[in-house]
Amino acid sequence: MNFLLSYLIIAEIYALAAMSTNLLIGVTGIFSIAQGAIFGIGAYIVAIATLNDALPFPLAMLLAMVLCSLVNVAMALPSLRISGDYFVVTSLGMQFVLTAAFTNLTGITGGASGLPGVPPPVLFGIELDDSQSFIPLATLALVAGMICYWLVMRGPFGRLINAIREDELAVSAAGKNVLMAKVGVAALSGVYVGVAGGLYATFISFIDPSSCDIAASFLLLTMFVVGGARTLAGCLIGPALLMALPQILAVMPIPSAAAGPLRQIIYGALLIAFMLFRPQGIAGQKL
Amino acid sequence: MNAPLPSTEASASAAPRGGYLGVVGVSKQFGGLQALNDCSFKVTHRQITCLVGPNGAGKTTVFNVITGFLRPETGSVTFRGQLLTGMPSRRIVDLGICRSFQNLRLFTELTVLDNVTVYLPSRTDENPFRPVLRPWRSIVEQRRRNEAGRAMLAEVGLADRANDFVRNLSYGEQKLLCIGRLLASGAELLLLDEPASGLSAEALDSMLALVLQLKEKGKTFLVVEHNTGIVRRLADQVVFLHQGHVLAEGDPEAIIADPALADIYFGGAL
Repeated sequence: MNFLLSYLIIAEIYALAAMSTNLLIGVTGIFSIAQGAIFGIGAYIVAIATLNDALPFPLAMLLAMVLCSLVNVAMALPSLRISGDYFVVTSLGMQFVLTAAFTNLTGITGGASGLPGVPPPVLFGIELDDSQSFIPLATLALVAGMICYWLVMRGPFGRLINAIREDELAVSAAGKNVLMAKVGVAALSGVYVGVAGGLYATFISFIDPSSCDIAASFLLLTMFVVGGARTLAGCLIGPALLMALPQILAVMPIPSAAAGPLRQIIYGALLIAFMLFRPQGIAGQKL
Repeated sequence: MNAPLPSTEASASAAPRGGYLGVVGVSKQFGGLQALNDCSFKVTHRQITCLVGPNGAGKTTVFNVITGFLRPETGSVTFRGQLLTGMPSRRIVDLGICRSFQNLRLFTELTVLDNVTVYLPSRTDENPFRPVLRPWRSIVEQRRRNEAGRAMLAEVGLADRANDFVRNLSYGEQKLLCIGRLLASGAELLLLDEPASGLSAEALDSMLALVLQLKEKGKTFLVVEHNTGIVRRLADQVVFLHQGHVLAEGDPEAIIADPALADIYFGGAL
């Protein structure tokens, strides 16, 4: 029971991150591979703030949302002026810089050994310290995230960023501020992945650089590709499938030392296979 | 807030006489290429001005300069007495100038309706948090924009294709949709880059009929066009551009009949 619940919670958390990736890459066409690092910023902020009793959980989450949003915008502002392909490289650089920061700012982040003992969320005086009590929070966050995603996509902003993916020049010929819209997407996407990071740290009660390094970014990317671009169903399916994989490997008769590398191999193979044979993912639209 | 529905009955009195759109002494260089060289001409209110000239004459560069996509080294562009040079391109659209592209640049994976609604003016559609913070207003606004978009589609004869994807439209329909988009922007001066190229005879007729009809409703056009037959049917004024410089400006028949210009235009083939 607990096993299934914790799987569901992790899948829900990553579904929020998948919506973030989808907004950036799937809808707007901003190909970022720094999503893992922004996820990490959210996780570290909530971990540090609650570990030191500096902030109650809701405020720590709010701070994570705001800061992740700002970091995403700060990264976006100088580099969104350059065209698509170059942004991949910029975001890769950002990912490495932030991983290095997480690993080496030992006084703040605990360095490579991470920050253990992140306290569970406390809401209305209730401590959500196990899967049964945590899942309502994760589910609530996911549902709220889905409603917001749906509202954004239905409204004028959603149409605008879809159009930007299709043809940026034609959007600016319409008198729209393409750069502002892209910065807006970066901000919104930062909020989503910040929430995901914060929830992750408090649920696992631990955060270290390996949860938010380049492999984490690729994991988020694989979820997005497997689930499919732009659709809400894709945002749910990708994380649900990929998060099931470690659980399946855990019960398979393979040495635990081999499980990690095997997982990476399977993720990589999935990424290649989907790009080759089903680029729209399981439930998505054409990339 | 309230996206003004483009009023096609533009106020004719607002245009200063003879100076609706004025391009004066514009030069633009790309590396060693002089794309525009002291280029000057006028566009008259509620008329169709055709920009003709051989390939590479700088016609599209003129569009890019007028719409603020390119900044000229010298010279100026004025619209209704206002200086456009140096203005960001979105301000120029706000003032009422919108351009189409030779290669259409439609949003092919979006619906016909969405292609039009994106072009509707708005001060709120760049804000990602508005749909979340004011969901109801955002939904109502989108509904209103869809209605406005449908009205534009009806005007160009694509009302029944609103929910189709653009990639499923014929080329002629796609070109009509380009005009629909420009109408949605609310602009009164429409810059068309080869609106007739590649069209079948039938599609061409409906395109030209649409442009003439929109002129009757008060729109002004600056049109890049190669085909002298189409220029005859469309143009009130012709501007002949050669190597970035205006060689002649005025009555279409006179310019088409000028043997010296024909010689340049057809490269001495005639």
